[in-house]
Amino acid sequence: MAIEDDVCVVGGGLAGMTSAIRAARKGARVRLVSHKKSTLRHASGLVDVLGYTPDGELVAEPFDALSALPEGHPYRRVGTDAVRAGLDLFDQVAGDAYRGNHTDTNALVPTHGGTVKPTARYPQSVAAGLASRSEETLFVGFETLTAFDAPLAADHLAAAGVPSRTRGVTVDFPGEFRADSRVTRFARALDENETIETTDGPTTARRALAAAVEPHLDGAGRVGFPAILGEDEPSAVRTALETRLGVEAFEVPMGPPSLPGLRLEELFDAALDEWGVRRTTGNPVVDFEADGGRIRAVYVDRNGQRTPFHADQFVLATGGLVGKGIDSDRTGVVEPVFDCHVPHPGDRYEWFADEAFGDHPFARFGVAVDDDLRPLDAGGGVEYGNLRAAGGVLGGADFAAEKSGSGISLATGHAAGRAAGEAV
Amino acid sequence: MTNSTEVLVIGGGSTGCGIARDLAMRGVDVTLVERGNLTHGTTGRMHGLLHSGGRYAVADQESAAECIDENRVLRRIASHTIEMTGGLFAQLPGDSDEYFEEKLAGCRECGIPAEVLTGEEAREIEPYLTRDVERAIRVPDGAIDPFRLCVANAADTERHGGRIETHAEVIDVLVEGDRVVGVEVRHESGPGKRSHREPGTTERIEADHVVNATGAWAGQLGAMAGVEVEVRPSKGVMTVMNSRQVDTVVNRCRPKDDADIVVPHETACILGTTDVEVEDPDDYPEEQWEVDLMIEKLSELVPMLAEARTLRSFWGVRPLYEPPDTGTTDPTDITRQFFLLDHAERDGLDDMTSIVGGKLTTYRLMAEQISDHVCEKLGVEARCRTAEEPLPGSEDFSVLRDYMEEFGLRSPVGRRSTERLGSRADDVLKTDDPNPVVCTCEAVTRAELEDAIEDAGTDLNATRIRTRASMGNCQGGFCAHRMAALLHPAHDEATTRTALDELYRERWKGQRHALWGEQLSQAMLNHALHATTMNRDRDPAAREDAIEYDRFDAGPTEAQVGAATDGGCDEREQSSESGDPNGGDERGD
Amino acid sequence: MGQRDLAGDRPRCGSCGGRGGVIDGLPTMSDADSTDEFEPVQVFETTDMDLRPGSDDCYKCSTCDTSCPVAEVDDEFPGPKFQGPEQWRLKRKEGHAVDDSITGCSNCMRCDDACPSSVPLSQMHNTARGEYVESQRFGRETLAALRRGKPREALEIVDEGRQGLVERVRNRILANYRTSAWFASKMPRLANRAMNFGPARWLMEKTLGVTSEREFPAFAEQTFREWWAERGGAHVENPEQRVAYFHGCYSNFNTTEVGKAMVRVYEAFGYEVLVPPQQCSGTPMFANGMLDDARRHAETNVANLAAAIDGGADVIASCTSCSMALRQEYPELFDLDGIESVAAHTYEALEYLRLHEDLEGALAEADVDAGEFAYHAPCHARNQGLDRQAIELFADLDGATVEDVGDSCSGISGTYGWKEEKYDYSMAIGEEMFEHMDAADGETGMTECPTCAMQMEHGTGYEIRHPLELLEEALV
Repeated sequence: MAIEDDVCVVGGGLAGMTSAIRAARKGARVRLVSHKKSTLRHASGLVDVLGYTPDGELVAEPFDALSALPEGHPYRRVGTDAVRAGLDLFDQVAGDAYRGNHTDTNALVPTHGGTVKPTARYPQSVAAGLASRSEETLFVGFETLTAFDAPLAADHLAAAGVPSRTRGVTVDFPGEFRADSRVTRFARALDENETIETTDGPTTARRALAAAVEPHLDGAGRVGFPAILGEDEPSAVRTALETRLGVEAFEVPMGPPSLPGLRLEELFDAALDEWGVRRTTGNPVVDFEADGGRIRAVYVDRNGQRTPFHADQFVLATGGLVGKGIDSDRTGVVEPVFDCHVPHPGDRYEWFADEAFGDHPFARFGVAVDDDLRPLDAGGGVEYGNLRAAGGVLGGADFAAEKSGSGISLATGHAAGRAAGEAV
Repeated sequence: MTNSTEVLVIGGGSTGCGIARDLAMRGVDVTLVERGNLTHGTTGRMHGLLHSGGRYAVADQESAAECIDENRVLRRIASHTIEMTGGLFAQLPGDSDEYFEEKLAGCRECGIPAEVLTGEEAREIEPYLTRDVERAIRVPDGAIDPFRLCVANAADTERHGGRIETHAEVIDVLVEGDRVVGVEVRHESGPGKRSHREPGTTERIEADHVVNATGAWAGQLGAMAGVEVEVRPSKGVMTVMNSRQVDTVVNRCRPKDDADIVVPHETACILGTTDVEVEDPDDYPEEQWEVDLMIEKLSELVPMLAEARTLRSFWGVRPLYEPPDTGTTDPTDITRQFFLLDHAERDGLDDMTSIVGGKLTTYRLMAEQISDHVCEKLGVEARCRTAEEPLPGSEDFSVLRDYMEEFGLRSPVGRRSTERLGSRADDVLKTDDPNPVVCTCEAVTRAELEDAIEDAGTDLNATRIRTRASMGNCQGGFCAHRMAALLHPAHDEATTRTALDELYRERWKGQRHALWGEQLSQAMLNHALHATTMNRDRDPAAREDAIEYDRFDAGPTEAQVGAATDGGCDEREQSSESGDPNGGDERGD
Repeated sequence: MGQRDLAGDRPRCGSCGGRGGVIDGLPTMSDADSTDEFEPVQVFETTDMDLRPGSDDCYKCSTCDTSCPVAEVDDEFPGPKFQGPEQWRLKRKEGHAVDDSITGCSNCMRCDDACPSSVPLSQMHNTARGEYVESQRFGRETLAALRRGKPREALEIVDEGRQGLVERVRNRILANYRTSAWFASKMPRLANRAMNFGPARWLMEKTLGVTSEREFPAFAEQTFREWWAERGGAHVENPEQRVAYFHGCYSNFNTTEVGKAMVRVYEAFGYEVLVPPQQCSGTPMFANGMLDDARRHAETNVANLAAAIDGGADVIASCTSCSMALRQEYPELFDLDGIESVAAHTYEALEYLRLHEDLEGALAEADVDAGEFAYHAPCHARNQGLDRQAIELFADLDGATVEDVGDSCSGISGTYGWKEEKYDYSMAIGEEMFEHMDAADGETGMTECPTCAMQMEHGTGYEIRHPLELLEEALV
């Protein structure tokens, strides 16, 4: 007796979860099949729509810039309304954990590299740090957390011309932590407000952290920390620090591992439950069954066992090169689940640009789709009538250069989920 | 600016550094100039094989005998740069028995300890060797770190009063009449440690004698002095694997050929190589077929290489030399011996000597011979001591001590650090400050990096070659910015940024030859981290046009916060409570 | 030489710490069935896996670290990225010791489930742990030091080794639960009383480092196998639909009602149930680096299960750690005939029925008077893709509500939470689950894993049931 659903979404990242929620809201019985943890934990937790044009021009009003994108761009496939609809869905899922939905204008968020980055939605924990605000800012880094050097970041932001005065200081994270403690360890200490030993005797983690920072405040109007301020209780941790320090506190998003990304994943997890999306995790989809140009089932593998999952509509949301939804070897680039066509130059030395931050063709690798997000074969025909693709697996956009990753996932995830739900 | 020295050595590779140390130890006032980093030329672009001599035991027995002698010397004086892995010459089906016997006999004739192993015994040593291996000859090959070797030679030169100038390119050889009197160099950022964004200067360095130790560039250098040096630069590719598929140097036992050796090196394996003559040692094509050839041919020897992850590829240019009129057409037939060219005798140009040919394993011997020659010219009588005196880092070196406990490091981190630092481990790792690992791929701690930076200035590539930081599987994606941060606040933000960009670029350059499979995923992840999360590709600090910050969102007003939050929540609750499948409809439906 | 083999010592009840001499007068072994014989226990193991190439898949994203419940509470534990790909990549074939922090890993295997790049993390951990335990063989190292002419070093090794010995014996005893349980099952009432006898527990904690905070689980008056024999084996014969039940130690000695429920449910669907001779799945041994012990047990299990598969059966386990071992750890760690076939034919009990029967349909038509359950998905169920299964299956069952208490780790991880030095970490990890159980409507817990059940009960005082028991109530 096979497992059967209306819509089967393959891939559990932002695009997959968005399309599953969207399809479930249409009343479909939806299953989300995912293999490993999603790349949300790699990403900053910021939700970008479009930060730069393909020519590298900084974008303040992303919705005005979408129509100028090149023809094959995923935003062009789904249209501006779908981008807004995807963001609406995001706003509902994120609730008050995120900010930015009061305006169409991008915000500039300080990065842990000391630059600013344009984004459309940002965690509430980041809000007080926006670069367009003018209060003097103190950045605080920790001795053993080498990915964020606060004094350097502060100087870098000054060089980027931010309208506020910036300073940075490096302190020891209070307590007896080893030099290789993970960010989750610090987050937990703050979440639980653990008792820690200091030279002045035992105290609590939040209190001790505030005490370590306090002498450096020196008139600053806000304090920025690397994004380790709690995993489960970020708001309580931040509020406690703000109360003790008497100024606003914020987080600077960090690269992998990313606690803001982890928190965002948890928000979507809750929404999946709320909408009754059925989930099967931990095993890869390795094969499928099709007839007459339609997918009938996908097969999930576990050490040689193959379990079929039948559905009427399928969504491919397995990610790009990082999420392993796109794979390659010395001879070519493939989409490994349905073997959809991935356009790419035959010569592997044409996959990259010579400059490190050049215009890399590999960054745009992914499947090409029609306006209904159905993957196209090499001849431009639809691969399967009931298969749609969303998110990083789509080609045609260098999300890293454009700062458009989450926006593409939300817009195409929403559009694919809606279409799949309607087609049932 | 003019300065003078007794002997000026040009070239900061193994030979140049070896000569500088030898002369300095004999009490000669010596200055070494190098246009890039130490090892910038061929030394930094080899597979790191410490020859037993086995590779030359059939075709070039003189070189083979030199190799085994020097192999023993280096194990004594440079132990912290060497891993004695042992080597195998593996015979596969189709490889001639006759050659196998010749190789064995040749090794014995040259005094190279050689032992025949059955295929089974060979696979016991190296389980990932092909099952087809018929038998093998075991020889004392090893792996040597050319970077640490040169750095140690340079450090000892300075300790003996010599001067080392990197990033100092010779732009002219000063000839007066029929003698060389010195050189003019252009400093990239002034004399001393390199500092980014510091303006360059030129310096005239007068010398009693000039040694041209520029290897493949010896012809170009000779031309500046008006003499002809017949180097035949020949390029070879080397492909770096992410992990060690073998722990022994594995050679294919057949007449020398492309793609016939795998050298375990630190955490990686290096596949080599090709042999193609090039016109210009600075400008030659780096081609895909060469990389593919390495993987395809060497996976006959070690099958798992076919699917294994490669990190990057690089090319080196051998400084082959052939005396005039020898007329060899195939570069693989050119001798690997070295030649001392006395330009006084040869070209009637006094006070300059060139050294060409040779190989890293015999660098010390070459240095000894040229130093003897130079000392004779200068009338210095001190004898060479480089075969006896250990290099800094190799004195009383013992890894048996439990450094991990002492320095609070995890055991593999402690081990790797102490292996790299040798007898300097105590000095470098003893710190009261927290000592986090900055490069996790290669287990390099902050203390080790700070020590290297003292030596290398803002040149993070020079720090890299001293420590191996950023040479692991992420190729700097996760540590380049952490390394750069260590330059601040001693150096300002702009200098730090420039140094980071340079390191990141250098790491990118070699990775381009490995962009498929895992390394392409890695490249995309690095790209996402540096471009998306850090926005380093569109860094506003590096752009001409200033950002108009007031055009961007500065956060919601109090009223907006309330409205947005309430609205979002209401809508969600309504739609879930209503149970209406179309509840929560929104734009786009 | 150098192998201090404790097998010569007369074995005593391991779980209760034989050294305390709590239980004496052990029964003879003559009445044991063929698989219930006492296994001599070797203290030292060997392993020769080289997993360095496995590091090729790591791209350093640290997702594994964010999924590690131990790194979140234990300052000494550096997380799976270090333990797995980094440590392996830095290793040499010889002479490079595994960092002792590997013993901090609880073997929950959440890192496996996390890694977007499919690094074989738990395999690396299991193998490194095996190597670490091996490297503690101080006899061999002592001899080597003496040969090098370093008597002082040899003395140091011996001294260090002695310090580690007690811990190894303790781990050995915990890992060989089956051996202890076998003895206890011979006199369950005495064992139940004696093992939770206060002074004895104090002694166990002091001498062996087994925490006295926990109560040992009760032994059943009659083992599952005894019940099976008494009932005359299978009541359904059906060569077309045949399953071989891997009951594991716990369903056999402690929660026999789970095994019985499995038999009744399957027979109700017309399956013929086989109960082949079997040993411990090896899970607790993997977690303690005792790969040789595990291999010996695996040999028996694979041989017997492969024979059942050849006879047309699929293998069913009711414990998710057992099915995990048979499906994943066996082929990763051992090279045995039939091991791939066993891996490919093993299923968790609900999973199998769901794939082969209309289980959801049957449940939708059934009704029970069972109330509300707070369900915790064991980590090892998660790794098999089964973490949402019970919730999904019972969603339409009238008279029962099964509520998920979130995706945190229970913290006990088999033997981990029994170690005195890990107990606090174990409870800290479990805290989230306790809180969520408390917040859930149900006052009864539910899980597939017997040690998770212990932790759930320990942390909340709830009674804990297995999904098979609810299935039995609904369908039989």
